[in-house]
Amino acid sequence: MAGLFPRWMNALPTLGAIAGLGGAVLVVTGTWYYATPDFFEVGYMPAQPDEGFNHQLHAGQLGIDCRYCHTHVEESYHSNVPSVATCIGCHGENKLDGWDTHKVGWIREAYAEDASIEWRRIHVVPDYAHFPHHVHVAAGVSCYSCHGQIAGMPEVYQAESLGMGWCLDCHRNPEANLVPPTEVTNLVWVEDEWFSKPVSEREHEGLTPAELVESLKRNPPQHCAACHY
Amino acid sequence: MSTIDQCPSTRDSVEIPEAASPLPAESGRKHWRSVEEFAGSPGFKDWVEREFPAGASELTSNTDAGRRDALKLMAASFALAGAALVPGCRRPDHKIFSYSASEPEHSIPGKPLYFATSLPTTDGVEGLLVETHQQRPTKIEGNPLHPANRGRSSARAQGEILRLYDPDRLKEVRVRVADGEKRDATWDDFTETEGQGLRRLREVHGSTGDRGRGLAVIAASRPSPTLRAMRDRLYTAYPQSAFAWWEPLDTARNQRLGTELAIGRPRHVRLNLERAACVLSLASDFTDRGEDHIRHAREFAKTRRVENAGDEMSRLYVAEPMPTPTGSLADHRYAMPPQAVSALAVEVARRVLDAGPLRRMVSSLPELDVALLEDAGVTGEMVDMIAQDLLEHAAQRPGSSLVVCGDDQPAEIHALTAAINESLGALGTTVEYAPLPSEIEADPFAGLAEVAARIRRGEITTLVVVGANPVYDAPAELGFAELFESVEETIVLDSNMSETVAAARWELKGAGPLESWGDSRALDGTIAPVQPMIAPLFAPALSEIEFLAMLAGQREPNGYELVRETWGGIAGAAPGTDRFDRIWRRALHDGVLSPSTFPSATSRVNPLRIEDAMSAFSIESPAEGELTAVFTTSHVGDGAYANCGWLQELPHFGTQVCWDNPAVVSPATAERLGLLPVGLSSDEGDLDAAYTRGQIPRARVATVRIPDGAGGTLETEMPVWIMPGAADGVVQLTHGYGRTEVGLVGREVGVSTYPLRTAANRSGVAGATLERVAGETFEIVSTQNHWSLESRTSIARALDKRWFDGHASGGRIEDKDKIYGTKRKDGGLNLAEQLGELTHTPDNVSIYTNPQNRSKANYPPPAEGQPFLSQPDFAKPPQWGMTIDLSTCNGCSLCTVACQAENNIAIVGKTEVAKGREMTWIRVDRYFVGDDLNHPDEMLNQPVACVHCENAPCEVVCPVNATVHGPEGTNNMAYNRCIGTRYCANNCPYKARRFNFFDYSQARYNGSFVGEETVFGEDGVDQRGFNKNFIPPRLREQISEIEHMKMNPDVTVRGRGVMEKCTYCIQRINAARQESKVRGIWDDPAQTAPIPDGMFQVACQQACPSESIVFGDILDPDSAVAATRDSQRSYLLLGYLNTRPRTSHMLRVRNPNRPLLEAEWGRRRELGIVSEAAYEDRMSDPLAGHGGGYGGDDHGGEDGGDAHSYFSDPSKRNEDRGYAMSLRVLGGSSMGVLS
Repeated sequence: MAGLFPRWMNALPTLGAIAGLGGAVLVVTGTWYYATPDFFEVGYMPAQPDEGFNHQLHAGQLGIDCRYCHTHVEESYHSNVPSVATCIGCHGENKLDGWDTHKVGWIREAYAEDASIEWRRIHVVPDYAHFPHHVHVAAGVSCYSCHGQIAGMPEVYQAESLGMGWCLDCHRNPEANLVPPTEVTNLVWVEDEWFSKPVSEREHEGLTPAELVESLKRNPPQHCAACHY
Repeated sequence: MSTIDQCPSTRDSVEIPEAASPLPAESGRKHWRSVEEFAGSPGFKDWVEREFPAGASELTSNTDAGRRDALKLMAASFALAGAALVPGCRRPDHKIFSYSASEPEHSIPGKPLYFATSLPTTDGVEGLLVETHQQRPTKIEGNPLHPANRGRSSARAQGEILRLYDPDRLKEVRVRVADGEKRDATWDDFTETEGQGLRRLREVHGSTGDRGRGLAVIAASRPSPTLRAMRDRLYTAYPQSAFAWWEPLDTARNQRLGTELAIGRPRHVRLNLERAACVLSLASDFTDRGEDHIRHAREFAKTRRVENAGDEMSRLYVAEPMPTPTGSLADHRYAMPPQAVSALAVEVARRVLDAGPLRRMVSSLPELDVALLEDAGVTGEMVDMIAQDLLEHAAQRPGSSLVVCGDDQPAEIHALTAAINESLGALGTTVEYAPLPSEIEADPFAGLAEVAARIRRGEITTLVVVGANPVYDAPAELGFAELFESVEETIVLDSNMSETVAAARWELKGAGPLESWGDSRALDGTIAPVQPMIAPLFAPALSEIEFLAMLAGQREPNGYELVRETWGGIAGAAPGTDRFDRIWRRALHDGVLSPSTFPSATSRVNPLRIEDAMSAFSIESPAEGELTAVFTTSHVGDGAYANCGWLQELPHFGTQVCWDNPAVVSPATAERLGLLPVGLSSDEGDLDAAYTRGQIPRARVATVRIPDGAGGTLETEMPVWIMPGAADGVVQLTHGYGRTEVGLVGREVGVSTYPLRTAANRSGVAGATLERVAGETFEIVSTQNHWSLESRTSIARALDKRWFDGHASGGRIEDKDKIYGTKRKDGGLNLAEQLGELTHTPDNVSIYTNPQNRSKANYPPPAEGQPFLSQPDFAKPPQWGMTIDLSTCNGCSLCTVACQAENNIAIVGKTEVAKGREMTWIRVDRYFVGDDLNHPDEMLNQPVACVHCENAPCEVVCPVNATVHGPEGTNNMAYNRCIGTRYCANNCPYKARRFNFFDYSQARYNGSFVGEETVFGEDGVDQRGFNKNFIPPRLREQISEIEHMKMNPDVTVRGRGVMEKCTYCIQRINAARQESKVRGIWDDPAQTAPIPDGMFQVACQQACPSESIVFGDILDPDSAVAATRDSQRSYLLLGYLNTRPRTSHMLRVRNPNRPLLEAEWGRRRELGIVSEAAYEDRMSDPLAGHGGGYGGDDHGGEDGGDAHSYFSDPSKRNEDRGYAMSLRVLGGSSMGVLS
């Protein structure tokens, strides 16, 4: 019998235990790290229909304000996508001397047919979580905080995890995350002139982060029913 | 002070000073909800002890269902779940559809848009405000500017949402072809085919044909000027056609005949109850029936609210055959058959007229059989007192007392009522005789009979029915279903399925009131627009107006133009002119055309005509052994709303039965006829059977035989159910049930009573019989025992005005225990709390501080002179609270429907309700009071929802923190956290939590197993023995796209295994908070509250017609709820449990006529119906034991239990007895049920 199992096999149970333990640790840490919105959601960039919409060009280079198209963001729960008519406001026949025709034919077609455009949705919070845009914009949460530097994205992707922990990070520490309400849509300024500085040095026309928080009259809610109902 | 407390763990060591023998049963007045509770049957105890009734947590309804089958099914569901998991890893592809070139005006995605419209039904008109989300109607509320309902809306109007999104709606035009089968067709087939449909109709009946001799049209009688104008067009095109406006109930007929008799013209009796001080209702359910009922409820409620001692309060006498919401408000209620009600009218008239200007009429009044009234418990002496009371109030303030006559009373009694009211000086003040709009059909029954006669003579070759359902609801004597079949060509237009549609050759899909243009005229003359919020869901569809215009020859009728044309005539400006457009736009915005109400009119009665009528009038006493039948309707109305699940699942008033319409009789009558429900009759032994043997109580089935009024007898078989408080010898039949062709929800629910109803007997008829069908029983579902707070006391509280006046200003009692309930500003308990247990409850300071518990109860009592809420928590406004006023709640249940509509609450169906799984967040408990099962002393209605305890018992037991407290005092549910342990429901003393045992909101109601033909039996069990709800959600048919559209997008739709409950409409709170912050109101120093009072209303509050529910910020000194919560009448339900509810109830104050009360109770005492003790108890001051102006914490001394002891029950659980005994030791005397 002695010859049946080589001696080194005595180490197998120990090795097995170590491997099992290591595997368990791997699974836990793997799940911990990967099975999160941070890993799965950030960077989501679905293909938009046809030519898509170049935010870098419109919002960045041309400097069109977010609210030119997302018209109801200050008054409504949703930030709407513009109607086809809004596109045609600039891209109608002969509006821009015809230089844009090779890219907006499909928009004009949709306009002529009174058809809708099926944009792919990028930023999704689950049905049981409610995120009202208007209050956040009014409080001084910049578009930049949730959507990233849209003005620099030729094609928009999800920049933040939009997970609950991420929401709470901001709700628990509003001072570091609020911008002057007048500059909410000024994404480049927000990135370069505000968030690039330490909180203590931020100041805009006499407004400091502490005063921004004070103006809320109450800290952002952290109880369940603020979002889940 | 004793060391005894109610902690069960110390119970055993307590020496109970007295044997556990119950006190004499008659020592206090019982509050009970059902016969079983009244009798205290052990089966009932079993039922109520569980947090969900027996069987609620079992999966199958049939114990024979094999375990093997269950495993098989589970395996199948796992397999499918596995298959679904693979694509589940991928992120779902969400799309956002942009608006196209044309964007709807005023539409902001994410914001609801409200449209003012109105709803003309055969039942009357309501002005509505419809909430739409992206052009999708989701919730209906009343239009505050419409005078008929001023912001409230009936249950049926709210159910209109379900009619719009009815999955069984007519989706295609269909035609029956030669072989009798129906096939899909198109509108073009109907309008363009040679020799068919419309072209045939024009050729055969047009000017070149028989000029309409062979054409008959039956249209739903809606009070709409444009619809009426279309009838005239039709007559122009087909001059000899027969046209009938059909209205199956025509409830106001006797009123019209009576006013014609009294003043020469048919009139609408308009009540202005705001100024009423003494009202006698002769079987009139004026706060819950008729077009004006919402206005009546609100105005009458104003006269019933008292806050301070000596406040004026109206008095209500009601004589009625069956309990009604109005009857439940009465100070003196007499259950009597309709004949006795007429007799009472005559006797009251004899006394009232004698004292007024119409004295000469007295001699014409017929002499009556006094026994009729005596049998109902009303002696001549009592009638004297009632009449005297009416006269006294009238003398104090002319017009303040009035008599209201019920719809089913004979015309002569209506005329006599007019005379009484004139004699009392009520005419022109509280009672007006308003002209009837020309849109009200004078006699729909005669019109339909005329059409039927022409069909029977074979004259009619084409019958067109528009929006009506005569095949189902025509009077029985016409035999209309056969007549309908006999017509060569039948064309029916309707938006929803009906028996008439099914029988028709052409079925044409119509557009409903939320999809089309129209108009309406209310009884007071107000004209209102009907405007579409959504294009017809199954376009192309025509509205009734457009279809009639098309028949009359118009080629592409346009409802918008047709309505504008009619309005041009009304407004005196041609459509298209600036003036018209201004009027039109204003009317569309406001929802009413202003001014269009009729001027108020006063008329004087013609005594001669009434004298003539009265001298010929006689009242037949019902024959021995025969019953008097009365007809009524319930939530589904005449049957048109039978496919609305919300209305089917809403319990009927009184019986609390849902999903059925049993014939209702009093317990004594049922016993006499051997028709008591199974298990209740003495010949069957124990009471338990009803609740222990089967889960669902069973009713006896009886053959109902009713004289048809023309010498014949009509009969049908139906179950019989009992209702305490009903008059003996009366059977009530409810119309609107037993629909066969209506859709999945309403199909074959109940039994149709229209086959018993003829034109002659529709107002009720004597001579009916009920005969038990041997061996037949029927399952009846009643929610009256669900969510019972049994064995707790002082739940619904009431007090006579006499005692209220005596104590409201004086008498304070120190609130020794600072952590309990509401208290007065001076630190004492308010009046309503003195009536409860708090005065007898030992100090109850928690011995440990629960970190989860955010209630201020965990903080030390405030310093002297400091308000309580200056504690760390709940100190920041807003803090939400609600009060519910029992004085004015009539139990109409509109709050329940409104809540269901607002909060996406699912319906569960009959078998599920039977197991206590109904999901409604707010229920209306109905309590009977008294020791007489057959004739309870009074009824109390108490809406109960989650009361949002600051010390919520549910929160501390949730293992996953799914139910937690918000900083604004709301007890919240995080649905996505809930794992369904149901511990919270177990720990909720209010039984306010509802559990999704199945996927009620996602799976199709009455749907089946996908991919397999499943046949469900009557008990909801399929051929394999499974409850249909047991089919795993993934394998069940999902609700269709159209049903999804009714959902409120602001509220999460809950899935299987999730607990839910009242949220205080947190979505509305949050929306208001967001609005307040965005608009800068939140931090505006000029505001007293961050969210100003009235900025929003919660759904139940919004719907309550009597304004009994008040909601708001309790920290805002200017808010309505701060005042009501601070009221003497406010008390906390089960406050002694230290739950600190945010919802408080307000004590009902009754205003009985003291001498009459003594006479009534004296008579009952003589007859042995009530004991001496009960008499004394009723007559004495419930607070007298406290010595009137008592002070300190005196509990009335140790003077023993005597008059006001708690009611005790031999079978009461030890825990409760221990608690009760502890109170007794403390010298408490009035813990009991209060009176």
